[in-house]
Amino acid sequence: MSAPAPAPESARRRPAGAGLDRPALRIGAASWPWRPRAALVCLAVAVLLAAAFLRALVAFDSSDVGLSEVAAVLLGGGDFGQRFIVLELRMPRALTGALVGAALGLSGAILQSLARNPLASPDTLGIGWGAAIGAVTVIVFGGSAGGISGAVGQFGVPAGAIAGGLVAAFAVFGLSWRAGVHSNRLLLVGIAVSLTCANLVYWIITWTDLQSAARAQTWITGSLHAADWDRAGAAAVALAVIIPVALGANRTLGALGLGDDAALGLGVRVSAARLVLLTVSALLVCVATSAAGPINFVALAAPQIAMRLCRCAQPPPFTSMLLGGALTLVADQLAAGLFAPTQLPVGVFTAVLGAPFLMYLIVVRHREARL
Amino acid sequence: MTPDDPSPAEPARLRAERVTLAYGDTVVSRGLDFAVPDHAVTAVIGPNGCGKSTLLRALGRLLRPAAGRVVLDGRPIRSVPPRDVARTVAVLPQSPQAPPGLAVADLVARGRHPHQSWYRQWSSGDREAVAHALELTGMLDCADRTLEQLSGGQRQRAWISMALAQETDLLLLDEPTTFLDLAHQIEVLDLVRELNERHGRTVVMVLHDLNLAARYAHRLVAMSRGAVRAEGTAEEVLTPELLAEVFGLRCAVVPDPVSGTPLVVPVSAHDTAPAHGAAATGGGSVRAGPADAPAG
Repeated sequence: MSAPAPAPESARRRPAGAGLDRPALRIGAASWPWRPRAALVCLAVAVLLAAAFLRALVAFDSSDVGLSEVAAVLLGGGDFGQRFIVLELRMPRALTGALVGAALGLSGAILQSLARNPLASPDTLGIGWGAAIGAVTVIVFGGSAGGISGAVGQFGVPAGAIAGGLVAAFAVFGLSWRAGVHSNRLLLVGIAVSLTCANLVYWIITWTDLQSAARAQTWITGSLHAADWDRAGAAAVALAVIIPVALGANRTLGALGLGDDAALGLGVRVSAARLVLLTVSALLVCVATSAAGPINFVALAAPQIAMRLCRCAQPPPFTSMLLGGALTLVADQLAAGLFAPTQLPVGVFTAVLGAPFLMYLIVVRHREARL
Repeated sequence: MTPDDPSPAEPARLRAERVTLAYGDTVVSRGLDFAVPDHAVTAVIGPNGCGKSTLLRALGRLLRPAAGRVVLDGRPIRSVPPRDVARTVAVLPQSPQAPPGLAVADLVARGRHPHQSWYRQWSSGDREAVAHALELTGMLDCADRTLEQLSGGQRQRAWISMALAQETDLLLLDEPTTFLDLAHQIEVLDLVRELNERHGRTVVMVLHDLNLAARYAHRLVAMSRGAVRAEGTAEEVLTPELLAEVFGLRCAVVPDPVSGTPLVVPVSAHDTAPAHGAAATGGGSVRAGPADAPAG
């Protein structure tokens, strides 16, 4: 990465316009506005994510494969047992956690900007539970082949999740559409769809036989214990396609944030842009949900925390993405380690970790009377 | 004040041709023709719900006409890529919304959207345009403040700065003075005039204050029930007869003591007959129109 353009002298000459004199960060022909604070926050979150990832590789379970052994394995050494523990057990789990969290964080950032409401997230808009219906249907009706593993598990569950999530997302936006998206109506419809889907899931579980119900129950608890390379790999491939699209659309979110008319005036194809962004964010949730089951709160909290740390007006997608990954990894480690050997679902700790910090930020920022 | 009329030989850069404008099944205007006078400030006046904003929205490509077409620089506006339209015409909607906590500089920077691409999101050109826009509106000192920290007039100027940062030749402003006190209205309209006179921008704005419209616009367009009833200079448009027809308002028209432009003085039901003694000079004789003239 090239260094940002040198700080302009005019910034010193004209202190009042400090926010105006925003140099550009250039990489080849591409350039972005250089915001020191946002960049610093982004870097700090990236370091946190890397640290959490490393810790997930070093100490996750009771086996005593420590830092030096992990380093050896990563460099291609280590004995068979160590290689197995690090590469087959810990790595997929850490990778799945980071990817799932990142997908949820990014999806939440997009949805909150689209709905112009901080309460919008896959949880409140029913997308997560829509995906869960699809996945649980496959798990339950896939018969013995519909287990967590196997061909149906590998392709059927993600396909079911994607179908369910997309249907839920479009149903929510479609039902709340009255010549534009009104955020309160959107949230009301979303909560209704969300509750309906959640209850349908539980109805399916109650109605089916014990074995299928147990499999489905494990899945909807939202956990990363069952992570393996099949899931991590599939999620990684899907996200490698979706994430660049989502980040490229970031600029449009700024224009959409000013309302439909203003966005149209700025040359945005509003309907098309909203459709693409909605589809992309729903797909992110579906991929995450099919990899780890529904994990609550990350998509709601990560963008809001990132936004407040960066002190910007709309959730920053890239930082939200990194923060979502970090939050999920840390939560998973707490869930796995705090009450060992009992493994709590990661979703419990995403809320335990994220909620107090978010509340702290809201209270502090409110006192500053800036928001 | 001498209105600089555009030369009628050249067709207007932006015009609506036989447009029918509707929201769903509710037709606002049918078969409307309107050409934006180039290099002039045009004020669109008319009672609430007469289709002023709707016309402006159609001209700015915010509303797709149910029939007819809007033409920009000789091409149907729908066939021009939206980005190119946004580099030629800037629209300030009636009630724009901004996310809470948005800084003025960031708002104005969003006006650069049509000049950017997904990989080139900020350039020195963007920087200069934003600085220039803020300078024009006198908002440089407020660049770091959030919109909530501004007064109503400053907020409106911030939004106008955003439209200016688009660097367009045409500027469509939908009620830029709403919710502003008189001093702030003058402030905004002075800016509009300056943009036109010093920077050659073509401006169309929807205004409710007839007297300010007369004072600041070169041309007035009076609309009623979705149709253009009159178009011309303030002296031509602001007559008691027309005001009675368009607004159903009985009024006297006298020369503005400051600018000499027509000044509309409404006559309410409680007033006695307009003061005939207030003899006006020149062509601005005091006339009162019938209150119950048919509006259609």
